[in-house]
Amino acid sequence: MRQLLSGNYAVAEAVRLARVQFVAAYPITPQTPIYEKLSDMENEGKLAGVMMRTESEHSAMAACVSASLTGVRTFTATASQGLALMHEMLHFASGNRVPIVMCNVNRVLAVPWAFGSDQSDSLSQRDTGWLQFYCEDAQEALDTVIQAYKIAENALLPVLVAIDGFFTSHFIEPVEIPDQETVDAYLPPFRVPTRFDIESPAYISNVVNPEQYMGYRQRSFEDMEATRPIIREANAEYEGIVGRGYGVIEAVDTKGAEIVLATSGAMTGTARVAVAAMREKGIAAGLLKLKALRPFPREEVREAMAGVPKVAVIDRDVSLGNGGIWCQELKSALYGMERPPVVTGYIAGICGADVSPDMIEQMALDALSGKARPDLPTFVRK
Amino acid sequence: MITEATAEMEEQEYMRCGHMACPGCGEATTLRLVLKVLGKKTVMVILPSCVGVISATYPNSTFAVPCFHSAFEIAAPTASGIAAALRLQGREDVTAVAFAGDGGTFDIGLQSLSGAADRNDNFIYVCLDNEAYMNTGIQSSSSTPQNTWTMTTPGGRRGRKKKFMQIIAAHRMPYAATASIGHPEDLMEKVRKAKAIKGMKFLHVLTPCSTGWRMPEHMSARAAQLAVETRVFPLYEVIDGREYRITHEPKGLPVDEYVRIQGRFRHFTPDDIRRLQAEVDEEWALLKGMEKGCKA
Amino acid sequence: MAYRDITIKDIEPIIPFSRGSTEIFLTGQWSAGKPAWVEKTSPCRQGCPVGNDIARAFAAASKGRIDEALAIFRDENPLPAVCGRVCYHPCEAACNRKEMDEKVNIRGFERFCADHGCVAVPRPAAVRKERVAIVGSGPAGLSAAYHLARLGFQVTIFEALPEAGGMLMCGIPEYRLPKAVLRKEIGLLARLGVRIETGAPVAAEGAGPRTLGALGRDYAAVFLAIGSHKGSGLGVEGEGIPGVLEGIAFLRCVAMHEPPDVRGRVVVVGGGNTGIDCARTAKRLGARDVTVIDLLSKSEMPAIAEDLEGVEADGIKIGLLTAPKRIIAEGSRLTAIECVRMRLGPPDAGGRPAHIAVAASEFVIPVDTVIMAVGQVPELAFLAGSGVAATARGMIGTGAAGVTAVPGVFAGGDASGGRAFVADAIASGKMGALAIYCYIEGKEAAREYEALRIGAGPSFTFAPLVNPDRPRVDLSDVVTYDRLDTICVPFAKRNDNPKRAAGRRRPADPFAEIAAGLPRKRAEAEIARCFKCGTCIACDLCFLLCPDISILKAKAGGYDVKSDYCKGCGVCASACPRQVIDMGGGR
Repeated sequence: MRQLLSGNYAVAEAVRLARVQFVAAYPITPQTPIYEKLSDMENEGKLAGVMMRTESEHSAMAACVSASLTGVRTFTATASQGLALMHEMLHFASGNRVPIVMCNVNRVLAVPWAFGSDQSDSLSQRDTGWLQFYCEDAQEALDTVIQAYKIAENALLPVLVAIDGFFTSHFIEPVEIPDQETVDAYLPPFRVPTRFDIESPAYISNVVNPEQYMGYRQRSFEDMEATRPIIREANAEYEGIVGRGYGVIEAVDTKGAEIVLATSGAMTGTARVAVAAMREKGIAAGLLKLKALRPFPREEVREAMAGVPKVAVIDRDVSLGNGGIWCQELKSALYGMERPPVVTGYIAGICGADVSPDMIEQMALDALSGKARPDLPTFVRK
Repeated sequence: MITEATAEMEEQEYMRCGHMACPGCGEATTLRLVLKVLGKKTVMVILPSCVGVISATYPNSTFAVPCFHSAFEIAAPTASGIAAALRLQGREDVTAVAFAGDGGTFDIGLQSLSGAADRNDNFIYVCLDNEAYMNTGIQSSSSTPQNTWTMTTPGGRRGRKKKFMQIIAAHRMPYAATASIGHPEDLMEKVRKAKAIKGMKFLHVLTPCSTGWRMPEHMSARAAQLAVETRVFPLYEVIDGREYRITHEPKGLPVDEYVRIQGRFRHFTPDDIRRLQAEVDEEWALLKGMEKGCKA
Repeated sequence: MAYRDITIKDIEPIIPFSRGSTEIFLTGQWSAGKPAWVEKTSPCRQGCPVGNDIARAFAAASKGRIDEALAIFRDENPLPAVCGRVCYHPCEAACNRKEMDEKVNIRGFERFCADHGCVAVPRPAAVRKERVAIVGSGPAGLSAAYHLARLGFQVTIFEALPEAGGMLMCGIPEYRLPKAVLRKEIGLLARLGVRIETGAPVAAEGAGPRTLGALGRDYAAVFLAIGSHKGSGLGVEGEGIPGVLEGIAFLRCVAMHEPPDVRGRVVVVGGGNTGIDCARTAKRLGARDVTVIDLLSKSEMPAIAEDLEGVEADGIKIGLLTAPKRIIAEGSRLTAIECVRMRLGPPDAGGRPAHIAVAASEFVIPVDTVIMAVGQVPELAFLAGSGVAATARGMIGTGAAGVTAVPGVFAGGDASGGRAFVADAIASGKMGALAIYCYIEGKEAAREYEALRIGAGPSFTFAPLVNPDRPRVDLSDVVTYDRLDTICVPFAKRNDNPKRAAGRRRPADPFAEIAAGLPRKRAEAEIARCFKCGTCIACDLCFLLCPDISILKAKAGGYDVKSDYCKGCGVCASACPRQVIDMGGGR
């Protein structure tokens, strides 16, 4: 069924279709419509489970962790300050190996106070052990949330699905909503066994010694690596059923390109327009959409960038002391390639500041010119 | 001679020997008695605290029921999540119980406890109150009584102990009660009552710590008895935040008897004791008034 | 991709998932201290001349087992129904509860058990061939007979009067000790095989068929418990006038249903127990006006305080610091008694104040009857030619444990100069039984006594001899109040035995018993007030309070410790309200 939906509402539909049993959340702009829509659904009896209105995001994640351990499918959503407040609990969730799915509506972090889109909030949580997927639009958001459950419940690792604040969360677009049967066939009911078994009681997550801890950490690392084929299969299966698949990256016209623009999230849409315009003008530009942050699609990126001389990474975020986070990740993934591309970093669209196709074209030309500083990013403002 | 083979225990125990508590630990006794009443169908939540140490490290457990070691400030929402999931699974015959210390309840855990209480989530919250952060080495909390010595208040704490039951009463929980290890039958009866009620239940248990209160190991039960009988820590219930029921009529022994057995009060002057007595008397009169007032 | 079925086996290795038990840690190694449950002696037991295991009796009663409580009394005392009415209760003076609020009404409890409990007479394990003779069936004689019979001896009591009981029968009035109660108690002895021959006095050598010498030949041992039934005179002019009665003889005549006529004005000289009993008896026989005079001051009065209260209730006047000077008669008719006021003078070497007549303070009380109650001595004429000597004070001469100059002949009770209380007489008879047992067995009495002595003594228990499989109790360790944990015991008023109000006494029966037994609810309240010092009542407090779940309990009662896990913290010992637990020992 096709409907005009905002990104937030699309996520809410996905949560409903996935038959999520437990949602604990706390309101924060620009996430609130997800929370409100789910509340409406619960009120109308359309949700498979219950909502828990917690008094903070930290408690929301805490309740999701324990509910998931007990054995039900869980969901939460937040943004910015809320995600930051949850930080301790993000480690807690991945350490506890629970298959929670969370939607983070990217919003800038205070201070200064503002509410526009910025990926610093979720990118700076990249070390918490969550899988992270970044969506370009509402359709992708809906599809990714559904896939996320399949991945999470196989990997026993939590998944964060990010959408840009306002650009994706609030903009309305036509969205194809799969029917319940289709989703049920793809995603069976929650089958992960409870960790609180009365008949066979165990003490979960008690203190370990250093050697033991290192063992668990290594195991988690290996299990994160093992999610790569799981992600691939989950995506392929979904694509087979509904006709839409996204991969962990999308390479557009990268073969033979002189300059590839690497973007993520809503900016990718603008970048597509910019790349098409450049091609019209005779510039051999290509686009690398980065969807997965964790596990970072190292092999896929290397393959897509093989033979590409220059890459301009546009980050809607910045990490003080080193530059854009996507840029760092990309450089790290390309390291060791024979003849790697020259990577130039650009910081644009912080806090939802406007990024036009022209600006993107300027960044591409700047990267092509060779005059841009290779080590530090260039801030691009209107 | 009675051996484990010949002992005819009338009730089962859900806490095992060999745990790491200090000798004479009041918390250990409380955990044991609460679990004894709650029985096999229990899922418990504990925090980094003395209980975290008592319960032993991987791969061992002192608890014979499923237990989860949660994070410091989230005893309540952890239990909330478990209770909600148990209900979704149709396992409502299983009791969810969370154990937190005074630090995890009065201080860092207060916000999340308030949220759970507001939602009236279906679990029992047991506050094991030894009046300081004992696991990390005797630092003061907002449960530490005024003028008490701790490692972070070597000159005596300036603040007064939070009137926590008032905070709990303000949340209108179906059932809340104070209890003490000095009166084990009273404690167990309150756990029984809590188990039978749907919604959130709060037990504020005074669990003396011989180490932190600077007493000989064997004094923990006596200290709890004295706390109650001197009215420093009265035993009562609050139903729906409105109805107050005193469950044990204390003898009204002078507070000096409670003070003088504890090294953490060693520096109290006669004036300090007089002031404490006056405060205890006033609080008792208030409590009596509240009990009387609700029997309209 | 098939949706992977995750089992618990997949989850166990990826997070800390602990199913092991902490029981692998033998925390018992943390300390050598371990608790031991050792029952001890209560101070009331130490204070009781008879050695009643009072705490244990209360413990049994607290579980509703009144029969068992009575059996515990009867282990030491053949006459709990009597003591429960007339004993001067030194147990209560020693009671630990008085340090908290008020001493326990132990005497009232003993009476409650005796009145409501039912106990089979304990048969001795084996009947011995030795026969023992006892002269006198008062409390000392009855006690000696009871304990000897329980040890298996064949006992015969020779009682001079037509009815058994001694002072209990003829000295304590009906309103304090109903005869029916006494007869029932004595009847139990018969069921133990004790023979009582009444109207069977022992005569002096050559003065009759039954002499001490004859008894000595026919019996393996003899116990003399003849009591002190000869009243002392006043030593004043006019003592021999008719109407001047001897107190003990007066009470005996009343007991034998031959009361003298005392309907006029009566003065009783002597405010001791006998004097008070005479006064109250005279009032009940219809005396119009009764006055008791005594040369002692109020603080020196030997009578029990509650008896003095009864005197006032009966409308009897008391004149203290008053001594008789002479009896006045008109012709042979008694008309008055002249008295003189006394004052206290400087104390003598023993600390007792002198009593000095106040000059010119004489006064006359018109009177129809004078009853003398100034002391009793034993009638020792029968000892002539027996070899048993009398002391200067007129008592039977005895050494330690009641031995007399004649081997095999022992003496006790009032006649040997013991304290003139029922309980002490019973204790004396018990000691006599021990002495006779040792004499016959060839054992050393002093050493046997030491093993059986309760606390600092002088009481002792026969229990180890009669019930060898009794639980172990430390007789030497008497629990003092500071060792108890009474913090949680609520304050509670003492429950006294109710008295029948004076107005409600049926006029047809002025001798009806004054004190009533404790009603059940009040008895239960009093039973709850007793701490049961030193006796385990299986309250489970130690079991519940152990932080290390290291106390084992048996359903039938009794506890033990899991040495592998007990950390020796001592909370159990500290919290035991009865101080049964000792911390000590090792692995």
